[in-house]
Order: sequence, then structure tokens, then C-alpha cells
Amino acid sequence: MKKNRVWLSLFLTFAFLLSACSSGNNGSANTNAGSKEESASESAGSLAPAKLTIVLYGDETNRMKELAKTEFYDVIKQEINAEVEFQFLPWSEYAGGKTDLMLSTGEDFATYTDINYMVKSVAKGVYADLTPYLDTAPDLSANVDEASFTAFQLGGKQYAIPVGNKPNSAEFYSVLVRQDLLEEVGMTSVSSLAELEEFYDKVHAIHPELIGYASTDARRMLLYDYTDKNLYWQNEFIALDESAEDDQIISWFESEDFKKYAGLMHGWYQKGIIPKYAATNTPQLQSDWNSGKAIFWAGTAARPFEGAATISQAVPEAKLANYFLGTGRPKISRGTYSTAFFVSSAAKDPERYVMFFNLLQKNQELYDLFAYGIEGTDYTLDENGRLTKINNDALIPDWLLMNKNFIRFDNSVPEDFIAEYKAWDDGAIISKGAGFNFDNTPVKNEETKLNGVFTEYLAPIGSGFVDYDEVYPKALEKLKAAGLDKYIAEYQKQYSEWYAKHN
Amino acid sequence: MMQETLPEAPGRNVPKTRTPKPKSFRKALRKDGSLYLLALPGIIVLILFAYLPMSGLILVFKNYNFNDGIFGSPWAGFSNFEFFFSSMEEAFRATRNTVMLNALYMLTGTFFSVAIAIILNELRSKWFIKITQSVMFFPYFISWIIIGAILFSLLDYDKGILNQLFLAIGIPEVEWYSSPWLFVIILVLANIWKSAGYGAIIYYAVLQGIDTSYYEAGRIDGASRWQLITRITLPMLIPSIILMTLLSIGGMLKGDLSMIMGVTFLNPLLLPTTDIIDVYVYRTAIRSGEFGFASAITLYQSVFGFILVLVANKLAGWYDKDSKLF
Amino acid sequence: MATTESKGLMIFFYCFIAVFSIICLIPFVLAVSGSLSTEARIAAEGYSFLPRGFSLETYQFLFGSKAEQIIRAYSVSLLVTALGTVSAVLVTTAYAYVVSVKGFRFKNVLAFFAYFTMLFSGGTLPWYLLSTKYYHLNNTLIGLFVPYLLNVFLMFLMTNYFRSIPHEIVESAEIDGAGHMRIFFSMMIPLGRVGLVTISLFYALQFWNDFYLPLMLVSNQELYTIQYMMYNMMANIQFLASGNAAQVSGAIIAPPLETAKMAMTCLTVLPIAILYPFLQRFFVRGIVVGSVKG
Repeated sequence: MKKNRVWLSLFLTFAFLLSACSSGNNGSANTNAGSKEESASESAGSLAPAKLTIVLYGDETNRMKELAKTEFYDVIKQEINAEVEFQFLPWSEYAGGKTDLMLSTGEDFATYTDINYMVKSVAKGVYADLTPYLDTAPDLSANVDEASFTAFQLGGKQYAIPVGNKPNSAEFYSVLVRQDLLEEVGMTSVSSLAELEEFYDKVHAIHPELIGYASTDARRMLLYDYTDKNLYWQNEFIALDESAEDDQIISWFESEDFKKYAGLMHGWYQKGIIPKYAATNTPQLQSDWNSGKAIFWAGTAARPFEGAATISQAVPEAKLANYFLGTGRPKISRGTYSTAFFVSSAAKDPERYVMFFNLLQKNQELYDLFAYGIEGTDYTLDENGRLTKINNDALIPDWLLMNKNFIRFDNSVPEDFIAEYKAWDDGAIISKGAGFNFDNTPVKNEETKLNGVFTEYLAPIGSGFVDYDEVYPKALEKLKAAGLDKYIAEYQKQYSEWYAKHN
Repeated sequence: MMQETLPEAPGRNVPKTRTPKPKSFRKALRKDGSLYLLALPGIIVLILFAYLPMSGLILVFKNYNFNDGIFGSPWAGFSNFEFFFSSMEEAFRATRNTVMLNALYMLTGTFFSVAIAIILNELRSKWFIKITQSVMFFPYFISWIIIGAILFSLLDYDKGILNQLFLAIGIPEVEWYSSPWLFVIILVLANIWKSAGYGAIIYYAVLQGIDTSYYEAGRIDGASRWQLITRITLPMLIPSIILMTLLSIGGMLKGDLSMIMGVTFLNPLLLPTTDIIDVYVYRTAIRSGEFGFASAITLYQSVFGFILVLVANKLAGWYDKDSKLF
Repeated sequence: MATTESKGLMIFFYCFIAVFSIICLIPFVLAVSGSLSTEARIAAEGYSFLPRGFSLETYQFLFGSKAEQIIRAYSVSLLVTALGTVSAVLVTTAYAYVVSVKGFRFKNVLAFFAYFTMLFSGGTLPWYLLSTKYYHLNNTLIGLFVPYLLNVFLMFLMTNYFRSIPHEIVESAEIDGAGHMRIFFSMMIPLGRVGLVTISLFYALQFWNDFYLPLMLVSNQELYTIQYMMYNMMANIQFLASGNAAQVSGAIIAPPLETAKMAMTCLTVLPIAILYPFLQRFFVRGIVVGSVKG
């Protein structure tokens, strides 16, 4: 008797589990099936219906969920006869984690990538070659810089499609200063290292609680003071001199320039411009900047207005401005602002994905829809075309789509900022290394070991936490032991080959 | 490796189970049959979610690419291990740090868990036990990031509470975050703090199962409280202590990356003692996106731990046959 | 003499536990007060025992417009925890019992079979492949607990509790002709009650706190658990606050990072603070062996 009861209870447990399982399945199936059937009839001409999955990172807002089933669905269906499912993953899965698993197990989807991740993934064969479908994205090609496309090519093939067009030259080559503090101490602008330090001293005298520089890397903004070259970094170890017209790469850590730079940084560290805790708690630096506790930071084209919004929560009167600490060297652009969509190689219909990317940048109307939603419901525009959001839910992230031809600013951004922003790239040159992607297969071991030496020895020297003369000999020895020479030689070889082909 | 070790295990026990007279073979089968049935769900779970995925271990010896799949990808031999073992100095330091920290965690953690369990067992105030026991469990749920942030506010050179205290009473300030050996102590203390309450629950539960008549007998014999602890309570816990030690010895070479990241912020100046294997792999292989390298080192950690467990298990068997793990 | 000695000992015991508990409590108090502070003041002034600029903005930021989703996520979590704990405890105690049976010829094989999986794992890729392509656990409720039905550590713990049950009881039952099924269900489970409660507690916490299975196997929002929702939010906040956000996206958004971390801590500890005292009722000492036998 007792045994029967045991069996019965086991059976019941499993029956329960199974029914729970199937109800889970039904739940997921139903949500997709529900939406508009009628719109399919008026869909785009000859295209067969297709199903696409677009992975986006971040939180899915309620409004996004709603629009994905209504307006977005209708428009996409009508334009390219496709049904798009937007799947949201946490940011921790970007360029790795679940994204990697989905790629490696052959799921059919598309999402965005940066160049590093692209190079790795193409080597594994998980990105689809999109070259044949470029014709289906004519609007995208018109609205996005040519150089952005080349950046996402490998061996002449297009593996990812850039979306968005943002001024990106001279990223971190300028100093982003708290203009309000600058004016408070009676200065108007900063144009050299000496002035910057003077600015720090004056502010420090009045506000000793503020830290100076809210970062540990100033090699770009200080360029004008330690070298005559126009350096542009390919990675932590290798730089190019953009003012020289040759194919020479520079081993950054072995250069005299690095020595001088490390000296400057050590001075800053000792002087307290870089706080002592920076050696330990680097994240704290950014949080100090965000809460208005730092005097200056590294600048980009967009930071003066993007950053102001953040700081003004803590310091309402904060104003930001970009300055270069020297002149006469052209701004360098890597040709892209790093986001581009790829399609997994298991995708059944890569062409339709490309057509979808095209929709994202097709025209102002669609851009407004995907980035801001529906006028009147989600946002309003005033007579100057300035945007006021009614609803703060993010849709397809607007920074992802951000295109200087379509972007809409809100009322808080001054007119001259916008003008400066749009003209930021004027006169900039494309780096002579743009479009070159290093194949690390022959030196994987060396690269991996070098990363270890970098984090333990060279990062602290470069940030000024330790004295160059004291630590450098040991660091150099470690670099050599890890295979720096082999790595540099391989990089030089590949770069020279590529350079010869493209010049 | 699995195939080699598996058959050896049953051999040891065959003579023991052959009861002198197999009264009724059918009865024995029926009796044991229900044992197989009881173990079956567990076996299925292990096969589905542990053993079948283990086929992935061959990836460690391959250059994986999607088009050829897990089995078709070209062999890589031991090249995925090279980056680690070709720089012996780093490999040795990382291994030493891992073993050192884990051994310290194990010793101090066990000591405090057992001590707390025994003390709780002695206390008489019910509400006091209830409250403190819950509270001591809390740290287990606080992430290392938070612990790191709190420690930072204690140890920061300029604004840290400890240094301000030192300053006030005239002791020279300490540069905590650039003293690798001092930090070993901090890590050990942090680990005790985080895990002792959790571990104590396990031992405390064992103590709750002890037959009270033992204590009554002891008290009648005139034993003092301390004697009751050392002669009855502690011996009762020995099998559990051995078990917990055996279970954790397998992980001797596995470190907690999130702990070091949270507490030291991967400060380069502390790496001489905090560069455990997982940290080294993180700042080399993971940083370079070479996940094949990372899983190769995981295998190294497992194999090493496996050997340690086999040895420890043997030692435990000499002490007491019943306390062996398998 | 003996009494003064034990009196001193008891005072020491009480003090030791009290001090250690206070040290354990401090960060939690900081977390509660931090989660109720404003981000700006925490960033500027650091942690404190009383909220700096009392506000609920962090909880609003985390849960703001998502009330409906949160309620659903909580119910999924509750369901998963309940189903998971009950079935995992069944699977685990059954396996542990088999491993603890004296004289069973395969008990060491089974113990080894389980322990081996604690050391060696094939990595996430094959696991993910099997779970999604072959077992079809993606976007199912059972996918949220079935892979964790046997925690080997807890299995050994349970074995240990079973072993501490006096062997004579089992023997006398065997003489009475009871089979293993009966011994297991009607004797070992009640006798190993303290162990059972302990592993139930650990299992419940494991299922409640798990965000990995939903992260791997769930894309349908209806099946999000509360922990996964929080993991998701934290990952996004952390990403936005790190320098990477600017690199990938060019975006600078300032989420309430510090206070959000604190709020997360509170929300994770909360179920413990509720569940644990309840479970403690089962930690009654001195189970009188004879009473269960009859």
C-alpha cells in the first residue's frame, strides 16, 4: 500500500512538472502570434515574408514592447515584409557571454558589434558575409560615411553594416573642463599644459575637495607636450605617427615618448591632480566626475552636452567645454564610431536583415519613429525642430542610431554647441591605419601574455602611479620575455603588406 | 581519465557486499532494485547536465570554429595551455597564491564555522540564538562589489576611516592598497566574515541531531561545560569537518575572481599576492578574448584538484573508513 | 569552581557571538541606508548609518514603471523556488540515501559519479547547445530549475546527516522486513529532518537567487524571475556607469549606481530575513530517537 502511495506521489510530481513545462511553451508562442494580420496584405511587392530576430542590449521598456507589436511591426511589415522580434539581453552579454553562445550554436539573429569582436568572430566563422547584399541598403550608404563601411571589412568582405553617423575625430585628444570653475577663477580658456595646471592650482586653492583629472589615461590630450608626432593608438602596445607618410608602426612602451609621458603623469600623481585612490579604485574616478567632484576630463565631440546633463543633477550650474592643449596637428578619425550590425552566419535570410538596417537610417521620418517614437504621443517638436520627450522610455537606443543628419536636440543644448558638434569633423583626416585589422592568430600566446604584463607593470607606469626609472627596467624585461619583439614584428609585417596594397 | 578510474571503485567493495549466504537472490535484487530506482533521477540529472556537456572538454585541445563544429574543428594539441605554462614565473606565482589563499580560507573558515556552531549550541537564550544566527547569515548574500566598496571606505589612504583613526592616535598611516602581504590578512578576514555564518549553519544542524542523552551522561559523570564541548560535541563534528574539507579540497586551485576584483579592484600593486589563477587568466586570456585558453586552464585546475582529492580521500580512509568521500 | 568557570565561558560565548553578529550587521545597515539615500549625496559623502537625503528614487528607478512585470517576476520566482526546492530535495535525498546505505555495492561508484561533476565541467557551450537544441528547455518553466535538481555539495551534506542516524534503527527495520523505499520514506526522511530542513533552505536560496538559468534559457519576458530582472538592471547600470558605455555607444547616462547596488543587496537579503526565522522552528534540538521508531 505504502509503496503505491510513493509511486503515486512521484508520478503526480512529474505530471505537474510536465504540465508546467507545456504551459510555459504555450505562453511564449501566443505572444507572437496575436498581432495584425491585415497589414500583411498591403506588404512590399514581391518579397516573401520573413522572420528576423534583432538582439538589443539593455532594458526593454514598456513603450518599446508596445511599439514593437504595433507601429514598428506595421512599418517593417509594409516596407520589407518582415516580422521582427526584438530580443533584449543584459549588457554583460555584449560581445561575449550569451551572444557568443547564440552565435556558436547557430541561432538566426542580428545585433551590433565593435571591430575587436568582429575580428574574433569572423575567425570563428560565425558572421555572415554581407557584401552581396550591400545594394539593398542604398539609403544607409548615402547617410553613413564611406569610411565607416571600410572599418567593418575584413579581407575585402563586409562583415558588419555601420548604423549611425557621429562626429568622432580626435576622441579624447581634447580636455573637457568645467567651464563654470574656469570662469570662477577668472580664466576664460585653456590652451596649454601650463594653463591647465594653473587652472588646477587656482581651483584647488578654493575647492580643495575637488580632484583634478578624473581618469588615468591622458596620453592623447597631453600629446602636444611630450612629442612632435601626431600619435594615434592601434591598441595598448602600438601607435602610428599620422604626420609621417610611411608604414612604420611605433612600439609605444619602448619609445622615448612613453618615457616623457610617464614622467608627466607621475608629476600629476604626486601633485594630486590624479588622486591617490586612482591606483585602486578606478571606477570611483568616473563617479566623481559624474557627481561634479572633478575639474577636468578627456573630451569628445559629444561630451560637452551629453555630460552636462549628468553633472547638472549634482551641480546645477555646471558648464562644460572642450579645449585642445596645442594646435597645428590635424584631428584624426578612425573612420567610425564603432557600432555596426552583423548577421549570424546561420541566418536564413541575411539580405532581409540588411534591408532592415537600411530602414533604421532610411529617412528622417523612420529615424524619428525608431529613435523617438510617435510625435504627439512620445515626443513633441517645437518650431525650431527641438525635441521634447513626453515619455522617457528608450526605444531602439538613440545613441545607436545617432546620425548627425537626423539627430534632434532638446532645448537645453545651446545653438553654438550644435554648430560646433556638426562641424567637429571638418578638416579631420582618416587614420592611415583605418580599415586595417590585425590577425592575431600567429601571435595569440604573445598577445595574451603581453596583456598580463601590461596590466601588472605598464598600466601603473603609464598612469603615473609608480616612477618610470624605478620600475621600467623590470617591466621591459617582462615585455621582452612575453614576446614583445615577435609581436611587434608580426604586426609590422601585416601592416606593411596591407599598407602597400592600399596606398 | 574517467574511464580509467571508474572501474576501480566498485572493485574495492565487492567482497563486502557479498553477504555470506545469499538467502534469496530474487529478494536481494528486489531490495537493491529499489535503491537503483531511488538514485535514478539523480543519475539522469547528472548525465544530462554534467556528463553529456563534458564532451566539450575536447574543445580544450581544439581550435574551435563554427563551421566544423565541436568534433570537426582541427586539433590544437596542448597549444591552448602554452600561454600559461610558457611563463613559468607567472604560472608558479599564480598557482602558489591560489593554494595559499585557499588553504588559509579553509583553515580559518572551518575554525570559525565550527566555533560558532559549538557556541550557538551552548547558548540557552532562544531569541538571542534566532536573531544572531539570521544576522550572521546575511554577509553571505552581500556581493563582493559592495564589500569592496565598504572596505575601501575603511582603508583608503587619505579618507579611509582606519587611517584617520591612526592619525588621531598618532600611529603612522598605512598604505593598505600597496601592501600585498597585509592584504592577505584582509582577504582572509573578509572571507571569514562572509562565509563563517553560512558554514556554521551546516555544523549547527549536525549538532541539533545529537542525542541529548550523551550530554546527560556526561553531566552525571561531573564533566564541566568545556569538557562536554571537547569530549562530546567536537568529536561529533569531526566526520562533518572531514567531509567539508574533502569537498573543498577539490577546488584548491579554483579561485574566486569576483572576490579579488571586488576587494582589490585588481590593483596592480597587490598582484604579488592576489594574482590567483583566475585573476591571471582574466587579465590575460579573457582580456584578449581567447576563451579557449581560459577553458584550458580550468581543466588544469580540475585535474590538479582531482589529484589532491584522491590523496586526501585516501588519508581520510586511513583515519576512518566511513569518512571517505567515495 | 566548575560553575564560575562555565559562567565565564558563557559570558565569553555571548560576547563573541554578539560582537560577530554586529560586525555582520553593519554592512547591511549601510546598505539599507544607502539604498534610501540620493545618489548625489552618497557619491559626494560616502556611506552612513542614516540615509543621506532620504529618498525612494533608487527603488523608483529600478522598479518605476514596471509594477506589473515585477509582480509577474515575483510569482515566477516563487513558483520556481517552490517546484525546484521540492523536486530537488526529493532527488537529492533519494540519491544521498543510496550513497549512505551501508553495504550497498555501488555506493562508492555513485558517490564518485556525483563528485566528479563537482570538479570537471565541459563549459557553457556544450551545456547551452544540449539544453536548447536537444532538451528544448529554452523558454520553459522547467528549464528554470531542472538543471539544478542535484547539487552535489548538498547531496554529500545530506549523506552526512543520514550517516549520523544510528545504524541500529535501520537494522531493526530491515529485520522487520522493510524495503529501502519504506525505510527511506518513512524513517530516514523524518529522522533526517534537521538535515532535510538545512538542504531545503540552501536549495530554496539557490533557486531564489539564481539568475543564470533565466539568462541562458529565457528570452520570453513572461518567464523572467525577479533575480534575473535585477541582474539585468544591474548589468545595464554597471555598463552605463563604466567607461565602456562611452566607447561602445558614445552615451553618457548617469544611473544611480551606488544606491542601486545597495538596493539590490537589500532585495536579496530580504527573503532570507523573512524565510530563515520561520525555518528555525525546525532546528529543534534533541530529537528523541525512540519516538520516531514506532
